[in-house]
Amino acid sequence: MEQTTQDYEPPQKIFTCNLCGLATPFTYYGQKPPNTRAIVLLEECFVTRDPFNPDKEKFLVLGSNCSLCSNTVCVGADCSLFYTKRFCMPCVNKHLDQFPHQIQTELAKKKQSSKAAVP
Amino acid sequence: MDPDSRSRDPDSRSRDPDSRSWDWDRPQCRAQMDEIFFRQHDYIPAGSPEHADFWAFFERFQRFKMKKDVSGCGGSRKEERDEGKESRKSSAAKVDIGLPQEYDARYRINVSVCTRDVEERLGRSEQGGRRSSAGPGSQEVTDCRLALLHFLDFSQRQSFGKLAKLRREQKNLPIFQYRDRIVDLVRRHPVVVVAGDTGCGKSTQVPQYLLDAGFSHIACTQPRRIACISLAKRVTFESLNQYGSKVGYQIRFETTRTAATKLLFVTEGLLLRQIQQDGALAQYQVVIVDEVHERHLHCDFLLGVLRSLLLSRPALRLILMSATINIKLFSSYFNNAPVLQVPGRLFPIQVIYQPIPPEEQVSRSEKMDPRPYLRVLQGIDQRYPPEERGDLLIFLSGVAEISTIQEACQVYATHTRRWIVLPLHSTLSLAQQDKVFDIAPPSVRKCIISTNIAETSVTIDGVRFVVDSGKVKEMSFDPKAKMQRLQEFWISRASSEQRKGRAGRTGPGVCYRLYAESDYDAFAPYPVPEIHRVALDSLILQMKSMSLGDPLSFAFIDPPPADRIQTAVTYLKEQGALDRHSELTSIGSLLAQLPVDVVIGKMLVLGSLFNLVEPVLTVAAALSVQSPFLRSAQHNPDCTTARQPLHSSQGDPFTLLNTFNAWVEVKGERGGGSRKWCRRRGLEEQRLYEMVNLRKQFKDLLKSHSLLESEFSAPSGGHRSQRRERLTERRKLHQLKRDHEQQEGSRRKVLRLEEGQEGESSSGSDGEETGRGKKDKDGSGQNMDIQEVKFKLRHNVSELQEAASSSQDLSSRQHSLLKLLLCRGLYPQLALPDEHNSTRKDTEQVFHTKNKHGVVIHPTSVFASDPEVLHVPEDETGHTAPDRRDSSRHQLLAFVTLLETNKPYLSNCVRVPALQALLLVANSVDSNSDCTRLVVDGWLELELRDAEGALKVLSTALTLRTDWERLLLAQLGKGTTGGLGGPGVSRRDMEKLSEGLVRFLLYTEVSYSLRRLTAFQTQNLYIGPQPEQDPSQTQTANLNPLFPGVEAKPDPVKGGLRVTGFFTYNCLADSRDLYSECLRTFWTCPNCDLYMPLTPLERMQHEASCRPAAELQQEGEPENGKASSSSASSLTRVYHCDVCDEDLSLTSTEILKHKRQHMYSAK
Ligand SMILES: [Zn+2]
Ligand SMILES: [Zn+2]
Repeated sequence: MEQTTQDYEPPQKIFTCNLCGLATPFTYYGQKPPNTRAIVLLEECFVTRDPFNPDKEKFLVLGSNCSLCSNTVCVGADCSLFYTKRFCMPCVNKHLDQFPHQIQTELAKKKQSSKAAVP
Repeated sequence: MDPDSRSRDPDSRSRDPDSRSWDWDRPQCRAQMDEIFFRQHDYIPAGSPEHADFWAFFERFQRFKMKKDVSGCGGSRKEERDEGKESRKSSAAKVDIGLPQEYDARYRINVSVCTRDVEERLGRSEQGGRRSSAGPGSQEVTDCRLALLHFLDFSQRQSFGKLAKLRREQKNLPIFQYRDRIVDLVRRHPVVVVAGDTGCGKSTQVPQYLLDAGFSHIACTQPRRIACISLAKRVTFESLNQYGSKVGYQIRFETTRTAATKLLFVTEGLLLRQIQQDGALAQYQVVIVDEVHERHLHCDFLLGVLRSLLLSRPALRLILMSATINIKLFSSYFNNAPVLQVPGRLFPIQVIYQPIPPEEQVSRSEKMDPRPYLRVLQGIDQRYPPEERGDLLIFLSGVAEISTIQEACQVYATHTRRWIVLPLHSTLSLAQQDKVFDIAPPSVRKCIISTNIAETSVTIDGVRFVVDSGKVKEMSFDPKAKMQRLQEFWISRASSEQRKGRAGRTGPGVCYRLYAESDYDAFAPYPVPEIHRVALDSLILQMKSMSLGDPLSFAFIDPPPADRIQTAVTYLKEQGALDRHSELTSIGSLLAQLPVDVVIGKMLVLGSLFNLVEPVLTVAAALSVQSPFLRSAQHNPDCTTARQPLHSSQGDPFTLLNTFNAWVEVKGERGGGSRKWCRRRGLEEQRLYEMVNLRKQFKDLLKSHSLLESEFSAPSGGHRSQRRERLTERRKLHQLKRDHEQQEGSRRKVLRLEEGQEGESSSGSDGEETGRGKKDKDGSGQNMDIQEVKFKLRHNVSELQEAASSSQDLSSRQHSLLKLLLCRGLYPQLALPDEHNSTRKDTEQVFHTKNKHGVVIHPTSVFASDPEVLHVPEDETGHTAPDRRDSSRHQLLAFVTLLETNKPYLSNCVRVPALQALLLVANSVDSNSDCTRLVVDGWLELELRDAEGALKVLSTALTLRTDWERLLLAQLGKGTTGGLGGPGVSRRDMEKLSEGLVRFLLYTEVSYSLRRLTAFQTQNLYIGPQPEQDPSQTQTANLNPLFPGVEAKPDPVKGGLRVTGFFTYNCLADSRDLYSECLRTFWTCPNCDLYMPLTPLERMQHEASCRPAAELQQEGEPENGKASSSSASSLTRVYHCDVCDEDLSLTSTEILKHKRQHMYSAK
């Protein structure tokens, strides 16, 4: 913890979800995070080291850009959905009819349960 | 079920007949898959925890797929597809976002696994020969890949879920809105005050905001060690650095600090020590002082030090964090520093005043009346349905009060089966304390009965009801009696609010105050800061060592009274830590570096001189932690019997020493079995672990000050295989520790209804542990005690065992020497048994200290159960006068603490032979002319029957003390010069001295009486200064032949002649014969041929300088050689008498006599 005079470290690169505001540093952007060997991401992602895994080489995908509107969104179910490509929730809702039945019913169910949770 | 059909897609069978014999459950089959997907360098290598997780996942996944297939989804799948087409048709006008026609769950996964190269390689090699019938077909590979994709997706979701939850929680904290303001303020001001109540998140968030903003080298102080650990853990977790070391902690025994650490949680005391070593505190850019409102001694002092440090380091950033209590005080102390006030997150709390009716109030001697408390429990049961959760927290003043109320509440709880009653205070075992965090079963509430520990230190979630007794017990220091006092007080309004707030952390709550609103209004606004309550010795010592100047003029935030500082200075002088000019002595500067009480530090230093380091280390450690003997076990006959062999009639430190040694032995033999051993004896093993850690720290400290040789012993077991074995074991232990740490926090148990009814001694760790068992993959971890793991990692058991056995086999000579060391360390904490004790009952034994009469021995002490060992043996006493008892067996008690609760109690006592110990350790010994009457420290009077014997004893003691002092200084000099400059202490010198001390302690057979002086006697003790002081006296005094370097001159206060720093000759007023100092009697020196009439003083002077001839030859020390001339004439010097106006050749005694003659003739 040696200190050099008056050094503010360069702030880390921060990933911020434009929908829910989740903000956290990311270490890699792209489809091939380091040390992933045979694994390839199917979209360009914001990636960080998985902080919940003791193994330093494990990665965690934080989010990516919506394939339609390019909005940066997190992978949380409330913000985006991946189905061959990344879609932000607003875009999903806009084009809901083009999504398969399974996804439509799933989303409808989720909407209902989240409504019920709000008193 | 047929394993084949269970594990495989039914379609695949017809397509690939070879795979018929493929069995997913067979290890060989899995190993083949591992060859493709989990090779050594793959993302998930075979053998890793994830690999095991995958195969577990795989089984679930296959079962899930089966179920879906069997339930006949096939039919509906088609329908869906049709529906999808239809809907797509209707939206044809819109943009086609290009989704595939058919739904497949795999499309929802944003990861793919490319293993084509491996597959091809495997395939090619198999093309030549016959394909092994059990090899994987393409379908198996596809199945496995699909499962792997789902597994990866699942893991990603799991981790991201955790992250999102964490961020959500952080965002919901009240302080989150102030994030940018805080950073901005810190950038612009050297000092910022952040005030916010419990639950606003300041302790965890502010350091992170600063880290995120680019600050590094941040120290955050905490008043409690435990908070350092838990905050470091929490912030590490929140800042997603759980397995790095960006965030760490440093406390007395352990640290997680590395070169990469950017944020360090430290105790206030530890930061002060760092300043002691690094005056500019250059290692930090930011210092956060948390919980400043608690006003701990160290914290107040730290603020003062930082305040002056800011002048020399304007770039340093200081942040004070406080509850919303007395914020102005802190702000104005730092030049009106900006204050940022953050609202807490408290739900509304209803306050109900329920003053205790007079008939239920307690008088001092009675037990508390539990009725007011029971009424609250009943009221809650009546008013609130049991399904509505919410626990009760009762604040009482002390442990005795808690057990009274606990007992009554337990009866009620057993009857209603709606409550689990749990006590909470710092003397409980840790396992017992931990229970308050566990969860009550449905429809049952916890009733936690606590001291003020739950006011700030311990935060328990889920409390809905609070009962506040309004009382607190606080330690204060009585400078007059030199005594700690534990007294009950009304709390302050600030504490009262703090207690109330505990009811509203998780929802609206109720606070019952068992006092009137008018009482509340009469409370003091804030608690009395610690600096106004406690002894300031350590503080003053530390200030001296930090060169902070006169403590009286130091700019404390709230300065302690001047006489308190003075008391501390006087005490430190008595202890030898400060000299006459209030400057640090060499022992004092060493003591200032040791993070222990002055008396304990002294013991360590003294012990390092003799060959008694091991036992002294143990005793010093044992006296610095809470007693391992559980009070509750005292009434358990089995425990008492089992403890018996550990007891020592020499004193409590020896009982502790025995206990520690026996424990180490058990640990060496049975490892984790020591837990059971402790339980049988009613011992809190945690305390023994603390002792062993502290002991190690002491040892390291002594080594770092060159007071102890660092041993270069080869690592135990020279064999390579053995070393490897040890290494493997350590690795395994580290793994166990990590496993334990990972499980922590997710281990809250559900309490059983019977929980509160168990005795404390049965508590231990055999509690039910649901939730933990499930997580433990291999059962071995469950049996392993985490303390045992840490112990094994930190200590070399065989080395400890050696140390223990060496201090176990102490000879009686070493025993008496050890006692002397303890006594000198503890001095002036001495107590005299009352002369009538032998006629009193065991329970009514009385003792006196210099400043407090009528104290008793704490019931936990060995002398409380066995007081006879302190009595003067009846047959040896001779009665020369009705009130005088002569014996050579008088004893004193040296004690560690004098604490008044309902009575003033002495604890941790050791008995020592009175005359010998006093002569060897006391700061002030005054004598009459023939040395048959001695007064020690102005309160103890010893009368020796035989003048001849008296002189001999005194003379021996003076010689021993001089030698001891010389060796001690040499030893300390070695420490301060880093072992280079000083000559150190030769082994022979040390052995000779200890031999002399032991002989003096054990074989001094002089009969004497011992009593404490009355107040009247104390007033007229000394002859006082002589009216005509001869100025020339000071010149001649430099030639004091008795103790070279020490001035012998008339004492300006007492009169008489000050022979050494502690001994003043012939200054006692009621000397029966004023002229006996001039009386010469014939005496033969045992060392030389001298035979001539000498005065007592002359004789002592001769003895001090005349050594046995043989010894002199061996030593050949020049200064001794000079003084060894065996004639009394060498003791004379030239003295110019102004009255006679001539130069006389006189001894120092003769000079005094000569002067007196003029004095009397003048009258
Ligand atoms: Zn989001
Ligand atoms: Zn979009």
